[in-house]
Amino acid sequence: MKKLLALVLAAIMALSVMSFAGAEAAEEPFVLSVMLPDFYTDVEFVREGNPLLDYIQEQTGVKLDIQLQANSSYGDILATTLATPESMPNLISFPGRDNTFVQNVNAFWDLTPYVFDTATYPWLANEAGLNIHKATAVNGKVYGVFRSRAFPRAGIYYRSDIAAKVGITKEPETIEELTALAEALAGYSEDTYALNMVGNYTAGTINVITVAMGAPNTWGVDENGNVYPAHESPAYLEGLKWLRHLYEIGGIDPNFVTVTSSDWDNIERTGKAFMRFDCNDNAHRQQEWFEKNEGVTEQIFEELIGLKKADGSITCWPQNAGYAGLVVVTKTVKEEDLPKVMKFLDWCNSYDGQMLLNAGLENVTYWIWADGTRHVYPEDVAGDSEEMVAKQKEYTDRNVTLQGSINQLTMGVPGDLTSSKYPTASSPLRDEYAANNIEFAKYAVLNPCATLTSETYTAFGSTLDTLLSDAAVQFISCVIDEDELKSVWEQWSEEGGEQIKAEYTAAYQAANAQ
Amino acid sequence: MKRAERIALYGQGKEYRRRLLADVVRDRWLFLLLLPGFVYFILFKYVPMWGVVISFENYVPYDGVFGSQWVGLKWFRYFFSNKAWTRYLSNTLILSLLNIVFYFPAPIILALLLNEVRSVKYKKLVQTFLYVPHFISIVIVVSITLVMFSSGGIVYRLTEQLLGHPIKYMTDPNLFRGMIIGQTIWKETGWGTIIFLAALTNVDTQLYEAAMVDGAGRLRRLWHITLPAIRSTIVLMLILRMGSVLDTGYDHLILMANSLNRKASQTLDVFVYQQGLQQAQYSYASAVGLMKSVVSIILVVSSNKIAHLMGEEGLY
Repeated sequence: MKKLLALVLAAIMALSVMSFAGAEAAEEPFVLSVMLPDFYTDVEFVREGNPLLDYIQEQTGVKLDIQLQANSSYGDILATTLATPESMPNLISFPGRDNTFVQNVNAFWDLTPYVFDTATYPWLANEAGLNIHKATAVNGKVYGVFRSRAFPRAGIYYRSDIAAKVGITKEPETIEELTALAEALAGYSEDTYALNMVGNYTAGTINVITVAMGAPNTWGVDENGNVYPAHESPAYLEGLKWLRHLYEIGGIDPNFVTVTSSDWDNIERTGKAFMRFDCNDNAHRQQEWFEKNEGVTEQIFEELIGLKKADGSITCWPQNAGYAGLVVVTKTVKEEDLPKVMKFLDWCNSYDGQMLLNAGLENVTYWIWADGTRHVYPEDVAGDSEEMVAKQKEYTDRNVTLQGSINQLTMGVPGDLTSSKYPTASSPLRDEYAANNIEFAKYAVLNPCATLTSETYTAFGSTLDTLLSDAAVQFISCVIDEDELKSVWEQWSEEGGEQIKAEYTAAYQAANAQ
Repeated sequence: MKRAERIALYGQGKEYRRRLLADVVRDRWLFLLLLPGFVYFILFKYVPMWGVVISFENYVPYDGVFGSQWVGLKWFRYFFSNKAWTRYLSNTLILSLLNIVFYFPAPIILALLLNEVRSVKYKKLVQTFLYVPHFISIVIVVSITLVMFSSGGIVYRLTEQLLGHPIKYMTDPNLFRGMIIGQTIWKETGWGTIIFLAALTNVDTQLYEAAMVDGAGRLRRLWHITLPAIRSTIVLMLILRMGSVLDTGYDHLILMANSLNRKASQTLDVFVYQQGLQQAQYSYASAVGLMKSVVSIILVVSSNKIAHLMGEEGLY
């Protein structure tokens, strides 16, 4: 009896060993680790048995190991990740072509041979993206695939219903009309403000108004080919004075410096402020929030980009240069695997890949309704009743656990293809946003130094930038006057600004001589 | 110890080695106890120290410590060639000085006060409550401060009503250091009393009784018995403190800083954080960090010397 038992046990063991060996013999998936900023830190992302990741593996043979890092501290984590090159993820999403990126290009593969190879990588080397690829280059080499963004995207949006209450029904077209609108909104009531400003992100607000006044975008080039900083243009001071005037008449929260951007949306939602200079896609987001939460049915927001100056010309500040951030392939990928990785990135840019990364899978995370539009829940739970809204929330909550922040891997080199087949439900504001971005792209003022390097700027730039932006905020909030503002600009020159100007001028002239 | 004395005591050559071995074998358990601490210091304190070589390189992580370009004193020159460095250094020194003057005595005073509490139960209760703030994250402390001191907050409104004009606690650069020290005192004073309370338990109670017989009041006893008894602890703590006096921390300052008060918040630690972590300028940041450490060593050595001159035992 004992012998029989032993035999059976031995047989089971042998079988299990064999089956294990069998699994090993099957083709190993090609694993790529990828680091992305996480915008849903409070949601547990499904890693095992996630149909979206399974689909990617099925289509491309790549098994993604997604490493999510909180967006709020992504920059710090990136710097520490790069400090240990041997354990870097294979793919990293970079927030921008910044100092950190330029400093570390040695750690990434040079992708130049791939991103211009239209025959092998039709999506990655798509014609629509060739110029932007060139613009992201460091010393003439492309080290990452850019992540495209709507351009120019930034502008002005405001509560048109409140504007009507204070007597302004026409959308401003000139700076004068904008001033009239801001002043009228400032006078709406004692405890509300015209312009929504926050202390930890003032760059957008200041850039929108100063560039509209005619100042360059961060850096300008004069007729002799010399580079100068925006604050040396008189229009920049005009822009700051515009904001200071609004502050003085009670159009900006006197306490805005201590308010952070996490409250930015709430200030508008609670009706504390009515206008914002920022990315204009917030206009339709806010409108939709009001529709959903406040039962608003009318259009209560209006958005605009270009404003005519006194001489009739238009200039506007683009929030980006047509891209925001890059996806890099680090040298933890073996050189012989590089074509395979590029093929994967190529797929991510195709219609199929873009749909998967942005919307997920049909009947899993999105549904096509009878009218051919795409939605994040099926048509049979549509409706405004409490029961339906609860069901819709169930769907959207579950979608987030499956999608997480994988849309951060979207590059969109050939442009956004996701709405080509099944558009998402649109609205007048969404349409206006898209139309404005096309119409005003030609007026966008680009930063001529965005791709140039200055050694002094790399070393001191962030400190000097802070010096300037702090002084601007102090001037706006009437803590310092014009003379003191100018003395800070003087200080900027002495603490390295002059050197940066000289270095950028040399780099600019060298680049343009070629 | 002179060489001759040493030879007389431990022998020479073979004899010396034999005795040494015998000692080691005899005290093997003590040596074993020493081992983990020894390994810890070698591994985590001495080995990483070689990393400072990156202050003299243009360090790129991928190229490694040995592959990066050697630039000598470039980063030091960079720092000192820029006018801004005096602002960073003076901000650091002013904050450190305020820390020593206002924060350092706070736990001593509190410990002395606690020592005078008669009811043991009450004393224990008070102690427990005093330790709580230490365990509250600085992020929370700053948030509470923001709620209480920014416009609309209770303290802000109270001062506005009392004085007739508001005090801009959160945005006035002149008040920035006061707020920082105030938060530190609130958060750490209770925790800091522990070591002084321990020192106080060593005071011989007979001395108090004798002093009472001689008619010494409470203040006299405090001045002539308690304080001299814990003086060496105070000096020791002060010297230890000198080593970290330039560590202003960056998290606390960054959380409290905004566009209006930033010029008071820019210390060397903040600079190292901004350059090293936010801008990935590892070499530049380590150069500034290294310089800070050199100043710290000078402070420790010189304060220890002063302690010796004052007749105290000091740190070593």
